[in-house]
Amino acid sequence: MITRRSAATLLAGTALGAAFGLPRGAQAADSKTIIIGINLPITGADAAGAKRIMNGALLGIQQANDSNEFPGYTLKPLVLNDATATAGQYDPAQAATNARKFVSNEHVLAAIGPEMSGSAKAMAPILSEGNVSMVTPSATNPDLTNPQFAAQYMPSGKPTFFRTVTTDAFQGPNMANFYAETLGVKDVYILDDSGAYGVGLADAFQKQAEAKGLKVLGRDRLDPTASDYSAVLTKIKSLNASSLYYGGVSNAGVKLVKQAYAIVPTIKKGGGDGIYTPDITTGDGFPAAEGWYVTNASPHVADDPKIANWLNEYTSAFNEAPDDYAITAYDGVLVILAALKKVIAEGKQPNRENVRAAIASSSVDTLQGTVSFDQYGDVKQRVVSVFQITHDPKYPLDDANHQFKYIGVAPQS
Amino acid sequence: MSSFDLLLQQFVNGLSLGAMYALLALGFTIVYGIMELINFSHFNVFMIGSFVAMGVLSLFGLSGQTVLLHGFPLVGVLVVTLAVTMIACGMLGVGIERLALRPLRGVQGPMAMITTIGVSYVLSNVVMLTMGANTKNFPNPIPSVALHIGTAQITVFQFIIWALSAVLMGGLYFFVQRSKLGKAMRATAQDPDAALMMGVDVNRVIMTAFFLGSALAGAAGFIFGLYYNFTNFGIGFTAGLRAFTAAVLGGIGNIPGAMIGGLLIGLIEAMAGQYIGAKWADVIIFSLLVLVLVCRPAGLLGRLAPTKS
Repeated sequence: MITRRSAATLLAGTALGAAFGLPRGAQAADSKTIIIGINLPITGADAAGAKRIMNGALLGIQQANDSNEFPGYTLKPLVLNDATATAGQYDPAQAATNARKFVSNEHVLAAIGPEMSGSAKAMAPILSEGNVSMVTPSATNPDLTNPQFAAQYMPSGKPTFFRTVTTDAFQGPNMANFYAETLGVKDVYILDDSGAYGVGLADAFQKQAEAKGLKVLGRDRLDPTASDYSAVLTKIKSLNASSLYYGGVSNAGVKLVKQAYAIVPTIKKGGGDGIYTPDITTGDGFPAAEGWYVTNASPHVADDPKIANWLNEYTSAFNEAPDDYAITAYDGVLVILAALKKVIAEGKQPNRENVRAAIASSSVDTLQGTVSFDQYGDVKQRVVSVFQITHDPKYPLDDANHQFKYIGVAPQS
Repeated sequence: MSSFDLLLQQFVNGLSLGAMYALLALGFTIVYGIMELINFSHFNVFMIGSFVAMGVLSLFGLSGQTVLLHGFPLVGVLVVTLAVTMIACGMLGVGIERLALRPLRGVQGPMAMITTIGVSYVLSNVVMLTMGANTKNFPNPIPSVALHIGTAQITVFQFIIWALSAVLMGGLYFFVQRSKLGKAMRATAQDPDAALMMGVDVNRVIMTAFFLGSALAGAAGFIFGLYYNFTNFGIGFTAGLRAFTAAVLGGIGNIPGAMIGGLLIGLIEAMAGQYIGAKWADVIIFSLLVLVLVCRPAGLLGRLAPTKS
């Protein structure tokens, strides 16, 4: 019975993927066209966040065209969707297909995305072989740039996968520091959602929590397709745990938040950037979501007065305020553009290898500050920001900028 | 919490979960009992039930957890929502049978079952594409009053689930055992050709089976929404698969078997979460299924009706 079901999943996935994963944007292009690929899950469960990221990237490309930064060249985005109807969210298989589309289009010199680490793991090897640089604004799984897994994700031996956010190797541990030092809790129960991102984040959190002397009361895994987490939450209650940490995305997160409010309403609860999304505030509502701590793997600049002009420009262009990952996406475009500019200024051919080398050695002023990369493609700044879900009834529930209150930078180890 | 309170609490959790699985399992069992067809579209009839209920509640002005009702308005809203949801899902089930399954009747092999898988995907994707993929906040107008036994608590809502499930299951059992149409259903289950010769309208019997099964799935969808306060297009698969397992475990085609199977799986899920680890729940449930099928191929209670030759 399970085989039949998975066979059906496969069949439906192929058919619907073909129906909904059609490329959009520039297809035909002349020789003076430079295409920047964008791969994001712009439909499905993560659509809201993905669209903000997409808009951040599109704004960067549009500004460069408007100010004619590259005389003789036209920049074009090629937006591909890696969400499928069967998955209901990002789908690594679709992401791999999209990566091949980027590689086979010779005008694509670099790309922005993906949003999710699961997709990134599928795309990185293909893009590495095709030598297409990709800058992710939000995929935080440490494996992608870990030299231990270089054979898998960096088969060409040269970094092609860059990030304008830090990784879960910092997001998890810094949050553990926040639990121990700022919240002052003595023990914690840790859950993950069995996804690549969630397990990695929870592992990193657990290691640092133990190092900080927090008593880890238990560790369990949630099935994101299940609906009932009351058994494990009742267990957490019975252990008199003072805090709960959840590594995972909003799919299981929404249900966990709701049931945790019913069963363990008073303990401290937190998670990573996977639940820093309006899906939590709209799916759970208040008071259920109130009080959860979440992190973002980037500095919080989305209401920084220094970038007020940019914020206005974004808001008026897209009728919606940007979040931090819209900013890291814009920063990613700035990194690609700076590399292009350098290549052209040095009189070299703007091709994939030259752009890649220029990105790897770049140091670019962006909205979040100076971005430069280590030898594996990771951004050198390692700031993790902490937010707390705090109801602001003046704003709609899906307004993440107002329902998530910035607390500060998590203590770094 | 003392270990007794804990056991009691997990028992209460498991019983509520099991009641829902049992309602869902009945739909598989009724249809299988009559047609020997495993109806996978049942998964998503349940899911659509939760969306129908959410729509009806929103017509009463309920959204999120903002409005609590008491007394007569509460009972009225719940009864109307339940009735509308059950009728709508029942009609959906009849429609699926009429459009997708009746043309295949008499075709040998697994064609009809594969068709139900197709219908299931169509339903879930239509809901995803029209309603969106994100998780919806399901309104719950029932005040959270709880009975405390030690540190364990039983909410008034859990009582409602048990009572409602008991009434629906009892009603179904009574209908099948006592009513004329129920007798026709049992006759068709035993031997459709002989039943036809005795003047039983087999089409009507099959439509009734689909209507009843799907209406119960709708009730389960409504209960699901109220209990968990959320719904999305994907809730059908896990719940449906467990309910299907419950039906097989109890003896597919056997109505009391489906109830017992559902309760058993709910309890295992809760106890596994407490004493072994939630991640092992599926391993235990499905290992038990294999074990039962190997030792007792007809399920725990077996088939009450003699099997067709």
